[in-house]
Amino acid sequence: MTFAQVLTPPSVGWIAIAPEIVLGVGAALILLFDVQYKPKRTHLGLATAAIVATAFAFAIVQYDRVQTLSQATADQAADFVATAFPFDAMIVLDANAVFGRFAMLLVTGLGLAAGWRLFERLGARAAEGLALMLLSATGFMFMASSTHLMMVFLGLEVGSIALYVLAGITRERTESDEAAIKYFLLGSVASAVFIYGVALTYAGSGSMNLLEIQGVLARNIFTRPAVLLIGIALMVVGMGFKVSAAPFHSWAPDVYQGAPGGIVGYMAAAAKIGGFAALIRILFTAFPDFISTWGPLVAGIAALSMLLGSTVALVQDDIRRMLGYSGVAHAGFILTGVVAGGAGTGEVWFYLGVYTVQLVGAFGVVAAVTGAATSGAGIDAFRGLSKRAPFLAATFTVLLLGMAGLPLTSGFVAKFGVFTEAWQAGYEWLVIVAVLASVIAFFFYLRVIVAMYMEEPVDEAVAPPGISVRASLALASLITIVIGIVPGPLLSLAGEASPL
Amino acid sequence: MIEVTAGWYLSLAAVLFSIGLLGILVRRNALIMFMCVELMLNAVNLTFVAAGRALGNLEGQVAVFFVLVVAAAEVVVGLAIIVAIFRRRESASVDELATLRG
Repeated sequence: MTFAQVLTPPSVGWIAIAPEIVLGVGAALILLFDVQYKPKRTHLGLATAAIVATAFAFAIVQYDRVQTLSQATADQAADFVATAFPFDAMIVLDANAVFGRFAMLLVTGLGLAAGWRLFERLGARAAEGLALMLLSATGFMFMASSTHLMMVFLGLEVGSIALYVLAGITRERTESDEAAIKYFLLGSVASAVFIYGVALTYAGSGSMNLLEIQGVLARNIFTRPAVLLIGIALMVVGMGFKVSAAPFHSWAPDVYQGAPGGIVGYMAAAAKIGGFAALIRILFTAFPDFISTWGPLVAGIAALSMLLGSTVALVQDDIRRMLGYSGVAHAGFILTGVVAGGAGTGEVWFYLGVYTVQLVGAFGVVAAVTGAATSGAGIDAFRGLSKRAPFLAATFTVLLLGMAGLPLTSGFVAKFGVFTEAWQAGYEWLVIVAVLASVIAFFFYLRVIVAMYMEEPVDEAVAPPGISVRASLALASLITIVIGIVPGPLLSLAGEASPL
Repeated sequence: MIEVTAGWYLSLAAVLFSIGLLGILVRRNALIMFMCVELMLNAVNLTFVAAGRALGNLEGQVAVFFVLVVAAAEVVVGLAIIVAIFRRRESASVDELATLRG
């Protein structure tokens, strides 16, 4: 027996991780080029945009590949397994992973354009910020595409650690380092809780591969599943931290308020996409038969998030804190779709996609009005904004109405989708709570719009936003309106995105 | 002679993890809180090793390496943030970090 016969190499499907490779290598190249050639910041920004666009192109190629795979016949079964589960089934190439990449890359591109002023202000450290942004996107994309719990954990940490640094990247203001330490301490506790959940799941089921866990659970009847159940609960709690669901939300408003204005929209959106992608993958792939156990837990977290987020947001005088608490409420709305199990995957992805675009756009407006490198954004700065900066006021109105879920915006279709799924899954009480919470939520969005259009302007002039900021805000508003009127194509795209 | 089974190790790990979590909740020095996170991660490592040994599969042992590497990366970033705060405020107490609230 020769050496080559003993050692069979694992199946390597580079196309399955091509977007991640592009982002990771791109981040390294940006740092190297910056050290060696000291390029202009505009060039660095354009290079970063090109890297994100290349990764997006690879994601489209992957989408095409997934479409081909879904029509594979029986005699192509071996080929299917090799393509869909490369790297010894640690990575999966399915519609769920590809939709996660679409959402993540769209948010990265929008966040980069909307927060460009921050990178200009960072001066010589602009390359660091850009590289960290690309690295965190890489990590969160791995969360959407891995079928192994250790891989999910590594993706989570790659993404989160980069975000901790980004939260404190400005040296000028003390609120920024306060946000960084709060995010870091609570984030690492969340990671520890999650990985302890992974360890207990491993102890209870004998595997960390989600597909194997599902197989083991389907074959055996557990007489004492306590260790496994605690493991599932801890993993849900860990992800609850990351997506800022109540009662694990306490970091979110502080970080959203204190972190540099230009990056906070991306931070909030990226963590939500990564957290929910992993939550969907773990719960729906490994534990679909345990839905009667984790369903009530997720429903409880969802109800608490919606009620607490909506009511506390009412009394906030800082727009960023308000958006932070509204993010808690939105995490609850998305979890309302998660309780429906595998049937609700499409609606959850749809909600996640449209909400994160609105979130990045809204924080882009906040950064344009109150500064991309500063902390905090009092509501006073927005009084009479319609007279001082009509474009910013108009886009902010569209995005806030989208978050509120007004009909003819994407937010309405998204809310309607997750509520329908939860109702059909038998969680009528949760839907009633959710509708109540959306009504409460309407008031604080309206309060900002009234301040912008009905109140006397303050004297402060708003610096006209740059071309990249205007383009990204226009795109985010356009997506919100167009998807609200013609939701069909995105609904069917998200509907395909269930995990294998 | 009592036989020490995997359950004992899992219980010890659970106790260590709880001590770490409790420390996060009651201590107010950022460095100590950070050490409590490390304690939690080591409880996770103990769980992995004990479970891997009891199940007779290597995955649990290998997982420890990954957790260690992640913990080291967290130390790098965490200590840098704590040092940056200490330089500006001459204190590592999180009680003084109360500008952001509401």
